[in-house]
Amino acid sequence: MKDWRTATIAITGVNARAENPGPGCAVARCIREHGEFKGKIIGLGYDALDAGLYARDLCDQSFLLPYPSSGEDALLERIKDIGTIEPIDAIIPCLDSEMQSFSRLKKSLSKNNISLFIPSRDQFNLRAKNNLFALCKEIGVRVPETKTVTDPTFFDRCADEGWGYPLIVKGIYYDAIIVYSAFDAHMAFSKLIGTWGYPCIVQKLVQGDELNLAGVGDGNGHLLSPVMMRKRAVTDKGKAWAGVSVVDKSLERLAAKLVNKLAWQGPLEVEVIKAPDGKIYLIEINPRFPSWIYLSHAVGRNLPVALLKTMCGEKVLELAPPSSGTFFIRHAQELIVQLQEFESMMVLGGTRQAPILKNTDAESA
Amino acid sequence: MKKKSKLKLGNGSRCERLHQLAISETGFIFDPQTGQSFTVNQTGLFVLDGFKKGQNTDFVSHNLSEACSVPIELAQSSVEAFIMQLERYL
Amino acid sequence: MTKLLWEPPFIQPHRLGEINKFGRMKARDSYVEHIFGVPVTLLKEEFGSPCFVTSETHFRNNLQNLKKAFERRYGDVIHGWSYKTNYISAMCNIAHQEGCYAEVVSAFEYEKARHLGVPGEKIIFNGPNKGKAILERAINDGAHIHLDHLDELNLVDEIASRLNKIVSISLRLNFDTGYTEPWSRFGFNIESGQARQAARLLSASKNLKLTGLHSHIGTFILEPKAYAQQIKIMCKFMREIEAQDDIEIDTIDIGGGLPSKNALQSIYLPPEQVIPPLSEYADAICNTLIEETNYRSQLGRKKPTLIFESGRAAVDDTQALLTSVVGTKRLPDGKRAAILDAGTNLLFTAYWYNHQVQMTRPADGPLADTALYGPLCMNIDVVRSSIQLPPLEYGDTLVINPVGAYNNTQWMQFIEYRPNVVLVHEDNTYSVIREREDLQVMCQQDRLPAHLVTSFIDSKSEAKSK
Repeated sequence: MKDWRTATIAITGVNARAENPGPGCAVARCIREHGEFKGKIIGLGYDALDAGLYARDLCDQSFLLPYPSSGEDALLERIKDIGTIEPIDAIIPCLDSEMQSFSRLKKSLSKNNISLFIPSRDQFNLRAKNNLFALCKEIGVRVPETKTVTDPTFFDRCADEGWGYPLIVKGIYYDAIIVYSAFDAHMAFSKLIGTWGYPCIVQKLVQGDELNLAGVGDGNGHLLSPVMMRKRAVTDKGKAWAGVSVVDKSLERLAAKLVNKLAWQGPLEVEVIKAPDGKIYLIEINPRFPSWIYLSHAVGRNLPVALLKTMCGEKVLELAPPSSGTFFIRHAQELIVQLQEFESMMVLGGTRQAPILKNTDAESA
Repeated sequence: MKKKSKLKLGNGSRCERLHQLAISETGFIFDPQTGQSFTVNQTGLFVLDGFKKGQNTDFVSHNLSEACSVPIELAQSSVEAFIMQLERYL
Repeated sequence: MTKLLWEPPFIQPHRLGEINKFGRMKARDSYVEHIFGVPVTLLKEEFGSPCFVTSETHFRNNLQNLKKAFERRYGDVIHGWSYKTNYISAMCNIAHQEGCYAEVVSAFEYEKARHLGVPGEKIIFNGPNKGKAILERAINDGAHIHLDHLDELNLVDEIASRLNKIVSISLRLNFDTGYTEPWSRFGFNIESGQARQAARLLSASKNLKLTGLHSHIGTFILEPKAYAQQIKIMCKFMREIEAQDDIEIDTIDIGGGLPSKNALQSIYLPPEQVIPPLSEYADAICNTLIEETNYRSQLGRKKPTLIFESGRAAVDDTQALLTSVVGTKRLPDGKRAAILDAGTNLLFTAYWYNHQVQMTRPADGPLADTALYGPLCMNIDVVRSSIQLPPLEYGDTLVINPVGAYNNTQWMQFIEYRPNVVLVHEDNTYSVIREREDLQVMCQQDRLPAHLVTSFIDSKSEAKSK
């Protein structure tokens, strides 16, 4: 990609269900609202009901992709097909489940002049839930006490072993459930094992404030443009509903340490809990921008644009100094979709060249 | 799905109900009365097109058998089965 | 006007959720005309449909790669060919020619190995039901016996003392690695003290000598670290019993469980994205074993021999199943379906894998969600409940793979004959390595009591024909 200002940027994860939106729309909004951007944005979704596909203010065009379970060959082919309609200069993947495919396609996409700036498979794996504990131990980062569990009778005797309730039970890949009793724990265990397989991860619940940091790793060990946020209210899925920008030096140091250790390349989100005694516990590293990334634009540290600049080799990111006190409140609103647009998404898998319905009764009905 | 109107098997009267449907040449169908959308395959589209023109079952079946080069009995029985599907959904 | 492609007219209502035309898309042109280099049409003509097609070259390569991966890192390694994974005689002999021992788990498998000419000292005898007679034979043959429970220990002790022999014994262990569901029904449990008890009894026995430890942590293990943990626990146990009793362990058998490139139904991402390369397993296993047994070199003792029993990883992708479409239909919900001449009778693994299914001709029409059913009169005979395929026609040939692990052993004889199994040799010639069954095979074990020799007693026509 030569110049991000006039480039065509494709963004995935434009699903936007109110209780748990994907980050794609927020990433698109950051880029769209940056004064210098004159290029095109392409929304890439996985379901005809992904709202961002129809958000005309954010995406110039939209297309559906094969599910990550279809593998990278199908994905590559689909991206090439989309490229014949609208040549893509760069892709910003925004969902965990597609990272493996994209990291395996890096070379093939680059041959097709499509840039990616994402972590390698090794980096991706090292930050996975079941490896995080060892990684943190190695570099002296605190994590809540964690244990892998394969035998559910653990939940009946855990209190005696110093694992009192409540606890967090996590699936090996996704999902986390807070449990308050052995009964809850057994239910959560069978549900998670049934969905994600063995083992389960059990974690002690640390009380404190939830702080998140978003940033970009430059691939050489540096953390670029960190933006920090404290959750002020969460949805019943634990996702940020309201938050406020903060500046927390200890969180920044922790994130910088992780980025340095992993030589992380690409966007990331670091989730931590800050206990009342000031100690910070790492909960998770996500290999993508978070859904609340629009806050970065609001505080003058537009991270998606910083990513694009980094991809183009620009060194000057023109960031505002870190600041606290900017709030966001997430809200839902209805997006109006015309029948023809929906039809096109259903039938063609994209917004391009929506066929005109022969019968006009539909509009008058 | 609620049946709001019964599609009559008698030739001709089904025409009106079918005319309400928005049918795209891609096979996308929208029923403005119920808000339900459908996909129809190319032969289904061919048959619907005939019905909307007021052609009866025999005539449509005959055309379909010609267009696809299949025996008339096969076309006819398939069209009848298709009408049963339409009655189920419309 | 272009001719309209025939398909019965069909209308399908849209259901919300997972509406994505490209959702289960496959890379284009994914049809095959050859199986392991032999034209599909030729195979079908010569051996009929369905038939299994196996590659000798692939199998040998896999076996060599496995062996190399462990040998290079550790040195003293034995691969036990897991008979239960595929015990067609030719396959076993390929494995033996590549230097594999026979790893057997029943009297039948033991007898088969001996029948193929495998000497007792190259047989590893596992399994929970060995039986007195076969144990006696195994002891006489000098096979490596792995004990599963105390009654078996007593039985072996009794036989050994009767034969007045000193018999080397391995103990099968089970324990919680923290990675997989513990298979606590097999062998002796470490945490509860059973394993210590067994070691103590063996050490007290005049005729039995504990020289090996064995465990098998599960199947299709996707986390190499699980093996590292397994070896740590086994070695810790080894040092404990060696310190306490007069025991010297010379083999550590880590069982099997290495995955193949097959798609487990319970795993969302495709196999190439979730299955770590062999080198990661070999690193985890060998590095840990070297670390945990380093103390021996300081004492001037030999490292234990590493035994592994990989079946699936060696054989799964060396076999494909050729099958034909015998009927097509639309299900009431609009989904396409096809009936094949091979189902779960031949493809037992279809119960847990989403096998890859390939066309053998270019697609004629758009891909759509399709269900593939087998020929059995059982509702659960489903080869794929959902796969994107172009419209199928009567007589179409499909190729299903990989199917080399567990199907030629777990297939069942229910209402159908089992088909030919073909081997493509290294020089690209091919031959049948297991003949298809026929009526004679099916009836030869039946015995008719005298009063049941005739079917209809009062049938006049029958009387006449006599």
